[in-house]
Amino acid sequence: MVAGVCAGVSAHLGVPLQSLRVLTALSGLFLFGLPVYVFLWLTMPETDKPPLISPFDKTQQRVPKRRLLLIGLPVLLVGGLAVSGGIRSAGHLSLTLPLLVIAAGLVLVWSRLDRSERRQWLSAEDRRETRIRTVIGVAVAAFGLILLLSQGGGLTRLRDVAIAVLVVLVGAAILGAPFIARLFDSLRQEQAERIRATEKADIAAHLHDSVLQTLALIQRRADDPQAVQLLARAQERELRGWLYAQDESADSTLASAVTEAAHDVETLHGTPIDLVVTGDRPLDESGHALVRALREALANAVRHGAPPVSVYLEAGPREVEAFVRDHGTGFDLDDVPDDRLGVRESIIGRMARHGGEAEVRRRDDGTEVRLRMTGAAESPSNHEESNG
Amino acid sequence: MTARVVLVDDHRMFRSGVKAELDDSVTVVGEAPDVDAAITVIRQAKPDVVLLDVHLPGGNGNGGSDVITGCAGLETESGAPVRFLALSVSDAAEDVIAVIRSGARGYVTKTISPDDLVSAIHRVGEGDAVFSPRLAGFVLDAFGATAGEIAEVDEELDRLSAREREVMRLIARGYQYKEVAKELFISVKTVETHVSSVLRKLQLSSRHELTSWAMQRRLL
Repeated sequence: MVAGVCAGVSAHLGVPLQSLRVLTALSGLFLFGLPVYVFLWLTMPETDKPPLISPFDKTQQRVPKRRLLLIGLPVLLVGGLAVSGGIRSAGHLSLTLPLLVIAAGLVLVWSRLDRSERRQWLSAEDRRETRIRTVIGVAVAAFGLILLLSQGGGLTRLRDVAIAVLVVLVGAAILGAPFIARLFDSLRQEQAERIRATEKADIAAHLHDSVLQTLALIQRRADDPQAVQLLARAQERELRGWLYAQDESADSTLASAVTEAAHDVETLHGTPIDLVVTGDRPLDESGHALVRALREALANAVRHGAPPVSVYLEAGPREVEAFVRDHGTGFDLDDVPDDRLGVRESIIGRMARHGGEAEVRRRDDGTEVRLRMTGAAESPSNHEESNG
Repeated sequence: MTARVVLVDDHRMFRSGVKAELDDSVTVVGEAPDVDAAITVIRQAKPDVVLLDVHLPGGNGNGGSDVITGCAGLETESGAPVRFLALSVSDAAEDVIAVIRSGARGYVTKTISPDDLVSAIHRVGEGDAVFSPRLAGFVLDAFGATAGEIAEVDEELDRLSAREREVMRLIARGYQYKEVAKELFISVKTVETHVSSVLRKLQLSSRHELTSWAMQRRLL
């Protein structure tokens, strides 16, 4: 009624407002209700402002009401008994009252933390700030206690008790509010730090596994230029892939399949292959055939032709073209014996079976194999083109 | 004709390696390891061609592009502009586009053979453009030529003409200029004209793919 405390408590605990008000008024008559009311007034979040911690709303409330009552009721009961007893035998009141208030404060603060914060609180290993704040809070509480204990009694007693309770409340506030704010900050900071640390560890691990190992290998095989070149080339390719890799998934497109095939042949035969890829499309059935034919053509180029060997793949929406070129002496298809299946079956035949075509051109300085596959990609993700 | 060349690269080992590879037709008249030193050396030496690494320390953090911007309008003794040939290990499209849009006349990767490098230097020194297969592939992609976009008139900046596309495709397939000429039944000079025109489009086009890469690097 005065500060909306009753309404807040009833909203929080689900207790009917009217009975709570009567209870509060009654307990106010017996003194002990008053400090509790003041305490709640000071610590309770105002409803028209966003609460201090965002999870503190009815929908996200993490504390089951039952548990709160289970803890709260005994505390209140014991406290109430002690206080009513203390009024009669004036000696004990000075001890029980501040204890009651501190206990109530802790319960409240606890109930307002969400789960992750609670875990943080419990596992607050060597958090110095936490300890410092606890010490300050406890010191202030102890100061209030001493103030209470040193009371002589008499008419001034009530006012003095109120002052002492206020001091205790200040302690509780120091304990509670900044700690909650702090928790959020440290949580966010920790997250960022963890991400940074993971990233750094990843990079270090990658460089160690790849570059450092290769460098060691190169040093050991320094007398074998062919091996050194191959190692350097493979490492360069690997590092490049790692550095400039696109986000897109790398294994289901024609471009990545062709790249992989070229790298395989290169590693297998030790001849550098210049690869240029434009455009891309999903890898479908005919795409697989094209990649296999291309691999065969490449293997022929590095085996029978002469470097430089270049591959150009152009994957358009309506057709795919691939060129494999070497600088060897070249050959005539008619001169190839019938029992050699490489070119005729693996390249020309395979392309024809999948609705494409292959052509071997003999040039002045080498051979060029041209693979062509028409038709839009079969995948539905490849949107149709009506023009072009 | 002997081409006077300045080498700009932050790796000393690479500079000495290139110097050892170049033949008598190329004279190295200066070297520099970073952007600021490069601008000083180039302004002083006024070379025909600057061999420029894309990634360099110093300047505004844009590497080779900063050197080109810092040397804008510079001319050699004979009155020809100082020309730049970018040389890099990077395959990243944004690196290529950045340095070409700043004004480099060509882009080759560091794995280029010594003979090809020498001929590229001469070509750039004579004012022609030098496209590696990789750069040609990138151009085809960036101008949408792979997807079948072709300019209706040659002057259109945002698309390649049919002939330019053919030339780019052959270069991407690993053809030399004279092989391209033979294949298309045109003269080498005509091939060079097409390549220069593609270079011009690359530098002037406001095509989305080109500008967005440049924007990422804060070049515009």
